[in-house]
Formats: sequence, structure tokens, C-alpha cells
Amino acid sequence: MGLTGTLSISEDTVALDEGKEACFDDEGFLTDPELWHETLAEGMAKADGLPGLSDRHWRVIRFLRHYYLTVGKSPLNTELTRGTGLTLMEIEALFPRGIKYGARRLAGLPNPKGC
Amino acid sequence: MREMTLTINGAPYTVDAHDKRVLLDILREELSLTGTKQSCDRKGQCGACTVLVNGKAVRSCLTKVADLDGAEVVSIEGLGTPDNPHLIQEAFVLAGAVQCGFCSPGMIMAAKALLDENPDPDTEVIKSKLRGNLCRCTGYTKIIEAVKLAARFLRGEINPDTVRPDPSRGMIGVSLPRPHAMMLACGTAKFTADIRMEGALELAAVRSPHEHALIKSVDTSAAEKMPGVIGVMTAKDIRGSNRLKDDQPLLCDKKVHVLGDAVALVAALTKKQALEAAQAVTVAYEPLPAVKTPTEALAEGCVQVHEGEPNLCYIHPQIKGDAEAALRESATVVSAEFSSQLIHQAALEPEASLAYFEEEAEEPKLVVVGRSIIIHHHLMVLQEALGWDNMRYEQGFIGGQFGIKMDITAEGLAAAAAIHFRRPVRYVCSLAESMLITTKRHPFEMKVSLGADPKGRLTGYDIDFIVNNGAYTSAGKSIINRALFMLSGSYNIPNVKALGRLVYTNDAWGGAARGAGPPQVNFALESAMDLLADKLGMDRLEFRLINSIRPGDSISTGQVVDEWPYPECLEALRPHYKRAMLQAAPFKHGKIRRGVGIAGGSFGIGRGGPDRSNVAVELMPDGGLTIYGSIADPGEGNDAMLTQISSHLTGIPQHKIRLVCRDTDRTPDSSSASGSRVTYMSGGAMVNAIAALTSAMGEVGASTYEEMAAAGKPTKFLGTRVQDATFLDPKTGQGAPFESRVHGAQMAEVEVDTITGKVRVVKLTAVVDPGTILNPMIVEGQIEGGLDMGAGMALREEYVHGRTKDWVGLKFPTTKTALDMEVILLETPRKKGPLGAVGVGEFVLLPTAAAIMGSIQDATGGVRICHLPATPKRVLEAMTAKTNK
Repeated sequence: MGLTGTLSISEDTVALDEGKEACFDDEGFLTDPELWHETLAEGMAKADGLPGLSDRHWRVIRFLRHYYLTVGKSPLNTELTRGTGLTLMEIEALFPRGIKYGARRLAGLPNPKGC
Repeated sequence: MREMTLTINGAPYTVDAHDKRVLLDILREELSLTGTKQSCDRKGQCGACTVLVNGKAVRSCLTKVADLDGAEVVSIEGLGTPDNPHLIQEAFVLAGAVQCGFCSPGMIMAAKALLDENPDPDTEVIKSKLRGNLCRCTGYTKIIEAVKLAARFLRGEINPDTVRPDPSRGMIGVSLPRPHAMMLACGTAKFTADIRMEGALELAAVRSPHEHALIKSVDTSAAEKMPGVIGVMTAKDIRGSNRLKDDQPLLCDKKVHVLGDAVALVAALTKKQALEAAQAVTVAYEPLPAVKTPTEALAEGCVQVHEGEPNLCYIHPQIKGDAEAALRESATVVSAEFSSQLIHQAALEPEASLAYFEEEAEEPKLVVVGRSIIIHHHLMVLQEALGWDNMRYEQGFIGGQFGIKMDITAEGLAAAAAIHFRRPVRYVCSLAESMLITTKRHPFEMKVSLGADPKGRLTGYDIDFIVNNGAYTSAGKSIINRALFMLSGSYNIPNVKALGRLVYTNDAWGGAARGAGPPQVNFALESAMDLLADKLGMDRLEFRLINSIRPGDSISTGQVVDEWPYPECLEALRPHYKRAMLQAAPFKHGKIRRGVGIAGGSFGIGRGGPDRSNVAVELMPDGGLTIYGSIADPGEGNDAMLTQISSHLTGIPQHKIRLVCRDTDRTPDSSSASGSRVTYMSGGAMVNAIAALTSAMGEVGASTYEEMAAAGKPTKFLGTRVQDATFLDPKTGQGAPFESRVHGAQMAEVEVDTITGKVRVVKLTAVVDPGTILNPMIVEGQIEGGLDMGAGMALREEYVHGRTKDWVGLKFPTTKTALDMEVILLETPRKKGPLGAVGVGEFVLLPTAAAIMGSIQDATGGVRICHLPATPKRVLEAMTAKTNK
């Protein structure tokens, strides 16, 4: 709890600026998308084994965030490919853990679970 | 062929005199009169199919059409319509007797027959005449009130306008009818099985007769050649992960883990053909030892339910202070073992789904219709399980819920078959099959010790609880967590030590069930409170009062609370408690003895931990408002909550507020209709969306849609509500799981037959404080239904997987078991609730079983019954145990 520095999905929280803590669920999803920021995404990517986030990564991440924060849900893959101009195979190659566990998670979208 | 003619809703209908079908088939299949429902596998147990034949109420599922020559048949559609309802339908709506509405058409037709015969029936007559019509939602109280109200309408004493709430009373705190109630009362609301599609294939599943076995081979060749069969599919035909959860296959390929697991699917032109062909699929199994109980599962060398996974699949401790030392040093300690049983949530509507493609494309859009209460999550589950992304989930009306629809069943198989066969597919399960494939309430085994100081102040609590997970982990981990969130109930216990363990077995798998964990642990705690009060020689109510949490105290998770109106609930119960004790006092000897018991509870609102809901609102050109959110309403009255709050805040009339809640394409993700969270979280998100809309209108001085459009401003705004809560620390179980809670106390008055051991609940009195009360009638309805369900848990209900196959076997509540109830509502506005409100639906179940056990003990003077349900055998054993001491 209350970890700083490196992070992995097994760690629950990471300290942010302004003294706030970003909290993750047991599948490594951020519990509050508003606490997401780019540095956090870079740290999560590193924990996922990605050497860094390219422009293409950011294009996907920013589309996912914009969609979620304006529409209130995650996009279908067809909407994601249309919105980013990337094919599904290209996106999956960018995020080895896939769209849900890779891209959506790095974009700070919550895990759509029930109680 | 000899023809014969009958009339159905006034229109002539001709059939072959040798037709072997029952009337229900004609109504639903041929005439699409789907207001007449089917629940009990045509055993005449549920009454949902009740219609009038020559003025008499009959079960259309048992009525052969060949016996109806010249008969006049009236179904719910012939009684009235939403635009022109019958007075009985008006009465059901105005009395709040329509919750999920699945039973309502049958109930209304039975009431029609009764009132035609007897214009002024009393309660006992109504109970007798409606005894064959089942309802899980209401506890029958408001149904009986509705019949009496209808009788007054029909006698001309009053009319619906007399009792309709005066519009000048506003929107909040007013018992307005639910917006969807009239559709449900008139049978026009479409439940999933009511939706037909031309050319849809019918599906049947091949299910395991074994509790635990390896699948050696599946031979579908004979089935594929049978009449009407389009094809047979197995796990290899599913493109995706074939997993509903990590441990739960959609179609089993290597191994079955529980009786009823699906192994293959047959798609045919008719249901009969599909069922017959399913019988012809040959599956070779190699049976494995079946693990029946957690004790067996935890024994050394026990076979693993899931390869590579220990049977002990989840464990969570909770440590606050030093409970061992506190108990060691306590002046008085009680220790006991408690258990609760496997229970079916028993929503009246059987499992059903329809899946079809709605557009031509390389990957066309698959539409899955079903009864999920968390549609965006289940859409994602289906996408992954089936390897098909372009999909939307559409929710039908939901015939009862109580947690069971947190999991999908028929949807996965219907969708898989639609993809495989590229045809629309309909999968409507029988009741017996529905029972096999749905989650149940987890059974708990609990060992507790509770201590107090010489003044009766609680000192420490130790609880070790083992939860039988069954074969799959649905909400099992959440059940453990939620039990820990609410472990100390309503009380200030400075030292707590707990350990929750979740254990795989080959039994029915547990899932969400009204309350989801807290009802079980609260039963143990409240029972221990009685035992400790008795040992201390203290009055049970006073003992609870002095130990109530006060603002500034902390619960077992260490969270310090700032609002806790539980003492007020006990004080409100006090005069009733005194009255009941006085009334019971003369009946402590003899054959029939009376007793009084009380119990309390406090229930957290939300998922527990971080929680988020998104809801959008849109100002419409006609001056109305549309609300968008994946907010299921399986009977709780969320339609009323959304429209009453939004009308109150915007001034837009309730009838101009529209709800778009059932479709993943058209709604933001509002998460689940669970955890009593909808009013608090989704109501809160809607309040924020309305605030954004009104703020934007204020910025440009607009008061209408046209003015907003002229100013170039958007008219649709998204609101979010994020709960300020945390998960529990995995090592200590400490954290702040909820912002707010609902509180209450209940009292049970019972009569015990000391010869037979039978218990009759004379009355249940419930005091509940749910914050600001938006709609008293709906809140009362939720509480009454919960009390009835709690009494079933306490006294009757126990599901046995594979053996319990229908409503009679389940001991479903009827008007015969219906209780006298009194609901007392307190109203302490919550700081963060929308207009001060919280949810109420699940809390009610927390105190009931313990209150009833306390009342039985008070009546008999015997030992405490610690194992649910309190069957007559257990009651007699408890009395004997006392006698033998």
C-alpha cells in the first residue's frame, strides 16, 4: 500500500502528486480514471514489459480516454480502429496484453465489474 | 378433422378438436398474447399463466384446448390496456403491487375471478383465492392491499383519481406509481421469452449427469441426423476463450465440475426437436470423486475441483486491535457455531435468451437479449468468450433478480449458437434447467466468540467463516469481502479477528444473492448478541443500544463513521417490543407458545471499495428529458427513482422524462444493479449530469432546448459519481469500503407448536432508516418483500442441487405463508446520497433470520437454533436439548 517508484499490477496503489494515491483493483485496473496521468501510464507500461510508449501507443490511449470520459463506456473494437486509424492487429501488436488488459488498463479505464 | 371454436378476448378462434396443446401454447405461441407467463414447467404451481375461462380462473398451462369448445377465454390483454386499463390493473399499480411484474398478469386475472364472485373479500379469502399465484418480490402484502383497493373501485366507493397522489405534493416523498408498472400490469412489457423472431432456431443443451467427471468423447452423429436438427456444437466450435469466468467454461471440453454443466448444444427448428436430439448426443464420461462439502474439500489428499487450483481458492483475514487478548480478558464470553444453507434466489422468470444479427457486414452486429443487470460487463464477457467483438446487449424486462442476474447463463449459449450457425437463436430454459444453471446463495459455516466487559460493553469478536463456493467462482471473492465489510454489523467492537475462506466443491456454485454475504455473518453476530445479552442478564434491546456504533467510532474495517442512525431505529422499535413482550408473556406454557425476538443491521451502499457510475441526460426538442444509463430495474423501482429525482430537479413533468437503460449501444456504463447501489451511485451520477446541464443552460441564459441550440451548446451531458472508498488491505482487512449505509432493526413475533415444532410468524416489524425517502410505497414494498424472503431463509427454504426442481420443492413463499408486517420508516438524510437517499433492497434480509431464531428461543425456552433453516425437527431438537440439560 502507498508504494512509490516502480509498480506492478500486484501492487495496490501508487503515490501521485498532490498527495493523492492512485488505487488499482486486483486485476491492475485503475479504480478512478480521473487520477490517471501520462507518467502513471508510462510506469504501468514498463511494468507490462513495454520499453516505452510510442506515438501509436498514445494515439490508442488518448482515444480510449477521450471516448470513455465523453461517452461513459469503453468503445467497441470497431470504434477503436475507426477512431485511431489502426487495425486491430496493429493495436494488439502494440499492447502485448491485449486491448482490455493492455490498452484499456494503461488508459486508466476502470474494470467493468459488478459487486 | 373436427373443428371447434372458442373465443379469446372476444375474437373467435378455431382449433382441431384433437389438438393436444394446452391453452398457454395457443396464447403465447400462436396469438403472441405473451402477457400470460410461464414459470413452473407447466405443473400448475406458479399461477403466472392464469386466465379466465367462462369467468373462472384457470391455469392455462394445464388446460387442454380440446376441452374448450365454445368457451370464452380472457387473457390479461383482454382485460385492459395501458391506455385503457381495467380498475384491477389500476389498483395493482396504485397500491405498489407490481414490482418485477412477471406474476402480475396471472395475479390480476386471479383477482378478477375472485372479485367477480365476491365483491368484498377479506384478507383470508384473498389469501385463499390467490394461494396458487406465486410472487417473490412483494411478500404479498401490497398484492392483498391491491385486491382490496380494486374491490373498492369496483364497488364504486372510490375511483383511481381518489387515491392518485396529488400533483401539488411534488416529486419527493410521494408514492407515485412506477412509470413501467402499468405496462407490466397489462402484460405488454416484453420479458426475454416473450420476444419472438421469425426463423429463430430453438436450442437445447446436453448437460452433465455427473457432479465431477472427465469428458472422454462426445458423439453428435446420431443427433445431427434427427428431424429438424440444424446442427450440434461443442466447445471446439466456439471461437473465443469459451470462458464466462476464469474457471467457468461456457461449454465444457475436458471435464465437468458440477451436475448440469453444458457439454454440447443442439439447434433445431423447434424446441421439441432440439430436446429430442439432445437426448441422442452421446457423451462418454469418466466419473471422478465428487467433493460435497468444504470439510471434504480441505482434507489432505482431496481431489481438486479445478486442476492446478487449490480447493481453498480465496482467503481474507481481518484484524482490528487484539481480539484474542480482549476475549481472554473479557468478563463474559459466548462461543457458538452457526451455519446457513444453500438457497435459490428464486426469481420467477426462468432463464432465457435470444441472439440474432441485425446488420450485414463482414462482422455483423450480434444482438444478445437477456436479463443481465450489468450489461456492459456482460457484453465484454461475451465478446471475450465468443471471440466476437461487434455485439450489443439488450435487456428484456426482468422477472425478479435478487442477485441471480449478476451472472449470465442462457445468453452465452444462445450467442455462441447464433455465431456458429449464423442464424437467430432462441434459448428458453425450463425451470428445472434454470435451477441447475444459475448461482445460489452461498452456504456459510461460522465459528464465533463474542465478549463483553462487566458493564455489558462489547470487547472482542472472533469469527472464522468458511464459504462453500461450489464449482465456480461467480461472486465468491466478493462474498467474502462483503462479509468482512459489514462484519461488526451495527456495533462498536474494539477488537476483531476474522478469517474468511472460500472453498471449491462440486456443488451448485454460489453467486450474488440479496445482501451477498452480510446476511449470513449478520445472522451469526446477531445470534451471538442475544446469547451474550442472555448470559449477562441484560435486555436484548438495551444490550444492542449500549453497544451501537456512534459517530466517531469505527467498524471492523477500521473505518471511522460520521453518521449512524441505528440507535434511533432501536428506539423506534422499543414501544413495539414492549407491546409484543407483554402480549407474549401469557403464552409461555402449553402447546402453542409465543415468543419475541429482535435483531439489527447496517448495510453498506455500493460495490464495496471504489465504485463508479456514469449516467447521461439530454434535453429534448419537446422540452422533455432523456436519461441514459445501464440501470436495470428488475422490480426495485429504479424507473421511479430516476424520473422522480430528475423531475424534481428540472421541473420537467415526470411523463416527459424518458429512460434509455437497456442497450449497451445507447447507454453509458452505470455498472451493476447490485449492492443496493443504484439510487446512491446512478441516482448520484444523474444528479451530477443534471447539474452539468443546468449549469450550461445558465451560462448562456437558456431555459429551453431551442435556446441552447441557438447558442450552439450541446444538450446532452454525462454525469459521473465516484464513491470515496477503498479496498481492504489484504493482510489486515482494514479499509473504508463505503461512504454510507442503511440501518434498521426488526422484531419477530412467533407462535411455536411445541408438539410438532412448527413455527408460525405472527408478525414482523421492521424499522428502517434509508435516508431521504423518495417514494414511500416503493421503499415499503422492498422491505416487505425482503422480510418475506428472510422468513423463508429462517424457516423453510433449502435448495439441493439436482433434487430441487420446482417451486413446490423449493418451498416458495405463498399467500399461505404470507406474514403480517409493519414497516416503520425513519428518515435521516445522508450527506452524500442523492437528495439524501440510499438504497434499501438488500439490507432487509440482514436481521430477519436472527430475529426469528431469537423469537423461537424466547417462545420455547429452549437452546438457540444456530443452523438454518429452523425446521420443525430442529425446533424440537432445540427444545429437547434444553429439557435434557
